[in-house]
Amino acid sequence: MAEENLLVILPYAVAFLVFTATLVSYRVIFGPTLADRAVALNTATTKAVVIIAMLSLLYDAPYLLDVSIVLLMVNAVGGLIIAKYMEVRA
Amino acid sequence: MIAFLFLLFGLFIMLFGALGLLRFPDVYTRLHATAKCDTGGAISILLALALASDFSLTGKLKFLVIAFMIAMINPMVSHAIARAAYKSGVKPKAVVDMYAWDNP
Repeated sequence: MAEENLLVILPYAVAFLVFTATLVSYRVIFGPTLADRAVALNTATTKAVVIIAMLSLLYDAPYLLDVSIVLLMVNAVGGLIIAKYMEVRA
Repeated sequence: MIAFLFLLFGLFIMLFGALGLLRFPDVYTRLHATAKCDTGGAISILLALALASDFSLTGKLKFLVIAFMIAMINPMVSHAIARAAYKSGVKPKAVVDMYAWDNP
């Protein structure tokens, strides 16, 4: 297994990041403009990437890292598409 | 021990980024806070995981690949969103608007 004292604190770290993503999702739902929602969604997806990487260490499953890389790529394409949509609609 | 410190540092940086996203008054200031804090926190946490894991060499390299891709992708998307927000008519509540000097 991995380093022991890190494995003790890792579930609490995952719970902390989920709590932070819940705070951020307030800005996704009630954001005043579309740009606020796009920024908050980008932040929440980056937190999800880090959460999946932590879970791959916690469950000792290296294939979850590929899921994390694919989610990161989809996040980049989605952010650029939302930005292009805002720019064209103006 | 060093991995533990990196993990704790990254968690606090990500909390400060979320607080900045909630409390700042403007799209551009919120973007500033989240782009810095999220990128730095994610890179710090992924370095801690790469130091502490006992995967094979490709497994450890995948953590570093994710960190590098976050460092490349996250500022690019932030820049695109800021430019699109300015062009779609969201005015910054700033005293000095240097983007308007170059793009009248």
